[in-house]
Amino acid sequence: MLTAGIDVGAATAKAVIFQDGKIIGYAIQPVGHDIKLVAHETSKEALHRAGLSISIEDLDYIVSTGYARNSIEFANKTMSEIICHAKGAHFTIPSTRFIIDMGGQDSKAIEVDQDGNIINFAMNDKCAAGTGRFLEVMAHILQVESMDEMGPLALKSNEPCPISSTCTVFAETELVVLRAGGKNRNDLIAGVHKAVASRVAAMTANLNCNPDAVFTGGVARNTGVKKYLEEEFEREFLVPDEPQIIGALGAALIAQTQLLK
Amino acid sequence: MANYYDKLFELCGFEYEEIEMERPRIEASFKRLEISPEDMERADSWVRQNHDISLEGVRKLLGAWLKELIDLVLARDEGKKIVYYGFPAILGPGLMLSASSEDIFVSAPDMVLDHTMGQIFNKLNPILEAGEINGLPPGHALCSLWQAKVGGIAKGMIPVPDFALASSYYCDMGSKADDLVTALYGVPMAYIDGIMDSQWGEYPEYLPERVHYLGTQINQALEKAEKVLKIKIAPGAWEKSRKSSQPFRDKLVRLVEVMKADPVPLSIVDLELLEALSGSSTGRGIQEGIKAMDILIHELERRVEAGEGVTEKGAPRVMIRLGHTSDPRVTRLIEETGLAVPLTFILGSWGGVKVNPKGDYNTPGEIIADYELAGGYYYGTEGQIKFYERAAELMKLDGFIAQYLYNCRPVATISHIQKKYLQEKTGLPVLSLEIDNFDSRAYSADSLRTKVETFAEMLKSNKR
Repeated sequence: MLTAGIDVGAATAKAVIFQDGKIIGYAIQPVGHDIKLVAHETSKEALHRAGLSISIEDLDYIVSTGYARNSIEFANKTMSEIICHAKGAHFTIPSTRFIIDMGGQDSKAIEVDQDGNIINFAMNDKCAAGTGRFLEVMAHILQVESMDEMGPLALKSNEPCPISSTCTVFAETELVVLRAGGKNRNDLIAGVHKAVASRVAAMTANLNCNPDAVFTGGVARNTGVKKYLEEEFEREFLVPDEPQIIGALGAALIAQTQLLK
Repeated sequence: MANYYDKLFELCGFEYEEIEMERPRIEASFKRLEISPEDMERADSWVRQNHDISLEGVRKLLGAWLKELIDLVLARDEGKKIVYYGFPAILGPGLMLSASSEDIFVSAPDMVLDHTMGQIFNKLNPILEAGEINGLPPGHALCSLWQAKVGGIAKGMIPVPDFALASSYYCDMGSKADDLVTALYGVPMAYIDGIMDSQWGEYPEYLPERVHYLGTQINQALEKAEKVLKIKIAPGAWEKSRKSSQPFRDKLVRLVEVMKADPVPLSIVDLELLEALSGSSTGRGIQEGIKAMDILIHELERRVEAGEGVTEKGAPRVMIRLGHTSDPRVTRLIEETGLAVPLTFILGSWGGVKVNPKGDYNTPGEIIADYELAGGYYYGTEGQIKFYERAAELMKLDGFIAQYLYNCRPVATISHIQKKYLQEKTGLPVLSLEIDNFDSRAYSADSLRTKVETFAEMLKSNKR
């Protein structure tokens, strides 16, 4: 039984090939202007890494997720990324009860039961604060190569600068003013990370952050955000080995369930 | 002789004779509304895409809105004295003014523009933009309903009123927008202030002082209306207006009964046409709505008998607060995820969930205030939330979608407590959904889909 999950988000496309309860291949590619092409190419790369010389259409079942889920023509079913992240995180860490997923343009908090079923969830609305995009904008201002590289720099700070603006555009201005005022760069970076964590924590006011808490999505690779999330929630967050593919993994798991019905 | 708009009007339930009779008025109003032959194809496909036009009752409801629009646009030309009020409305004063003289035209123009220029012609945005450049700028968390009203006046599409009833009993932004209309156009207005706050645990009881205060405000507004409009409100105007609109309420109760069926026989998008008409019209819309409901209830009862509906039998049932007033796609996406929506908050408040008023009052204002406080909507947070709780049992709900506008204080500020309370009391999941129910420029249906789809999957999983 060979299934796949395709997660095409705002910044990246992820594909996971799944067989007999195991991930046998996966791939991540940046999303370009052609959604259908990137979905195909990412799937092809995942199949190649799985050592399979078949086309994506030859798989038994495919579930697509992410913002472009409805544009993936070769998918048998679509599923929201919140459900997929819940399933994927629960499969990776079965003790998962609470998940923070932070992607390119959204962040989600998900409360799950012992079987990985969603009990409650929250997702950012139209605002980019608390997302990967917020970090990318700030990385650009602070001349750090990438969002991931900001994390270790944030950890070097002992006195994070408070960033009070909740709007990405206003926070950008605030950062420029603070920088002009001679603030230490690592303190600014740490302030940015603390602001992101704070926004996400505010979003989860109606949810129970029970252990084990898991951090997924592309931003989960950022050690600075992890640190400040743990401060905000006063608990440890576990990060899967490859946090970016958890949504695609969940989709592949749902595909498997569909076949077993 | 047929004209370019005939097909659209037929689609919206007009008989040919009605089109013929209304033709000069249609053409005069379309000219002012900047509606041309080029708009017809878009309007036709927009209506077909979003409304269940296989139901004659739905087509008649669309027609009722078109009639309201034409009446509104031409009210000044036809020698009417024009009164505007805000939404959500305390309808009583408007109904009384309408009942007092045939020369008075009372309207919630923002809702009329939303349901016609938005839901039928898909052409609301230029009106909102006109509101933005005439005193209600974008990016200031201002309500689009008021932008529609100010924009409609600024573009000359709808007339400047003779008098405005400011809805400060519910929303402070409404009265400020009416202040703007006064400043720009010299429109006299009456503020109707009320008291929304109440002790938690008090509902359904309410202090007589609250009824007296709101009632006095209404009485004073009516007195001012008499002076400004140079009319005399007849002693029996309240009873007369209640009597003429009673069939509307009775039919709404029947409709709520029909919507208890599984599968739900009517889309919430179409139910909303009726619900909004009930809160936006004191004139022709009420009578046209009664006729449309007669047809619609009959059609829906046939659907129920045949076991037909708009979602699958056994689909999870949710109550929503209010549909999108101008962009039906946003509401429709809830049903597209497989959820059945048998009731909205506002329809329920008209149709059978409410408690009875105390009935201890004599002045028109106090009688209206008593009625409104008992309804829950103008009572305060607890009245609104308890309403949802009662609806869960009445409509056999599986969850709630509690939409809130981030810029609407009466709604946004209770969203957290609403979710918490309802989840604890009913054990049902609540999706707090940030959305702008009056303007789709800031939120698209697609951006909301992920949340609603996830919620739908949750509810389906709970039912398995």
